[in-house]
Amino acid sequence: MSRAYRITVKESLTRELKGSDEIATKLEVLEILPPEQMAGLLAEELKKRGFEEQEDGTLIRTDGKVTVCIEPCTGEVTVRSESGETVTLEAKRDATGYDDIGPGEKGIRERVREQIKQDLEKKAERETERLQTQATRGLEQKLEELQPELGAVINKITREALKHKAQQMGSVKEISEDEETGNLTIKVEV
Amino acid sequence: MTTTHEPPTHPPDSSGPPAVSKFEYNLLRILRFLLGHMPAEQAAPLVYSRFSPRPPCLSRTCVRLVQDTLAKGLIVHLVRAGGWRRERFLSGNQPVDGRVWDRVPLDVRRLEFGEHTLEFLLWISAEKPTETRDDWDAPPAELSAADELFFALALDALRPLPDVFPLLAAKAVFRGNPLCWLISPGDFAADEPIPPAFDRWLTGTRAAILECLQPALTQRWVRSERGKGQVGDWQQMRQQGRAELAALAAFLAAAETAARPDLTRFVLRSASAVFAGGELTPAFWTGGLQGIGPQRLADRLDTQRAALALPRQLETLQRWEQRARSVGYFDEDYQSSQLWKADWEAARGDDVAAQARRVLEQLEPLRT
Repeated sequence: MSRAYRITVKESLTRELKGSDEIATKLEVLEILPPEQMAGLLAEELKKRGFEEQEDGTLIRTDGKVTVCIEPCTGEVTVRSESGETVTLEAKRDATGYDDIGPGEKGIRERVREQIKQDLEKKAERETERLQTQATRGLEQKLEELQPELGAVINKITREALKHKAQQMGSVKEISEDEETGNLTIKVEV
Repeated sequence: MTTTHEPPTHPPDSSGPPAVSKFEYNLLRILRFLLGHMPAEQAAPLVYSRFSPRPPCLSRTCVRLVQDTLAKGLIVHLVRAGGWRRERFLSGNQPVDGRVWDRVPLDVRRLEFGEHTLEFLLWISAEKPTETRDDWDAPPAELSAADELFFALALDALRPLPDVFPLLAAKAVFRGNPLCWLISPGDFAADEPIPPAFDRWLTGTRAAILECLQPALTQRWVRSERGKGQVGDWQQMRQQGRAELAALAAFLAAAETAARPDLTRFVLRSASAVFAGGELTPAFWTGGLQGIGPQRLADRLDTQRAALALPRQLETLQRWEQRARSVGYFDEDYQSSQLWKADWEAARGDDVAAQARRVLEQLEPLRT
């Protein structure tokens, strides 16, 4: 008469999982002044808004898990969102064996351990997907906030550049700015 | 083609039609199909059939008929595709007017075939391409201009045979053929597509072929752009767009180096035709994409950007036009610059470039 026995196998997996997303685009900076002067105006304005200048000349600001990097000379903007977690995943499986037929205890344990490994890998994949979704949502939200901010930056440096240009053309008699409409009128005596 | 066999004997030709074997008859019919003189439905049974045993060689009559069909078929194709038109193209940096046979000297117009064309005909007539152990292929570097033209037409003709086409498109003889890439780069769609070098196609016989094919290429590109709105699969769109971007960028760069902007006329005219209907939005290209697409925003954006491969080329073409404007009367490339300016104006280049810029800007997530 055969006797059944139950084998319970538990496994855990600790892994650092990451999700990331990134977009690169370009700011449209009008060439009112020579490119290096426009880049200088852009860099100054960005610094006022919390961007830090790096050794290579790029300006970086980190807001939570999102990093915004702007190259003032080319106007290239890279926005990168990262989401990472160290997760411990656990899985447990039971199997039944018989003392007279079928594979022995060792064989059953090996088989169940393999199945558990596959379960853990699937769980890890799902977790990675979750983090990926989190990173993408973070990026999308950041872009929504960043668009009006960068629009304001571009408007401001365009106005500044126009004032500089006007000064170069002659003597500036009058400057009037309408904050609401964004109109800028400069009267220059040449 | 070399052979150690005696050519098959046939009864002496009477005054009637030339006599050929059954295999040779099939081969000649397949050739006519590949040159566009027979519908795919009629040719499909011939392509899918296996002829066993494969004859060791062809009779002289058959070889003569193949030569005659190739010579007439390809010339007729080139003339119909656009060679008959009175056009202006550059020759030695000077614009030359007229039909192709008026513009291009006879020795440049001569089409010479190598062994690979006949070998391909023998292979496709004898083997069933979907179930064959004979993995025929030919090195692209050994192909003549006429061979490359023939293989480009052949691949296009085989497009309606869905199980044969991808098998052939994967062969080096087609994948390494620049003309195949200009006709339909989407056939070589991949994550990292690598187009062949286009420099050989900007001089000599190949350039003359490209001159003839300009209207046909324009039609193909316009059709392809209009069809993109029907593409539902994100990965397909991304790979097709990447292949188009790679092909057009490489071709325009080669044309600029060879000082043959006139050979990129089809790109300008295609863009002009696409934008002729008025202001477009990116949805014209990407409106058919199904679902939300890839999980990462980066991949979605990359797909959408790739879909607009053609409008993206306007920046390069406009740069040429701006440079052409600064060329003086006594400069060496004055005449060629004038020709490009004329092409640009005829295609409403400024308007098209502005529209292309606007539609590309709409895709950018941080447009200000």
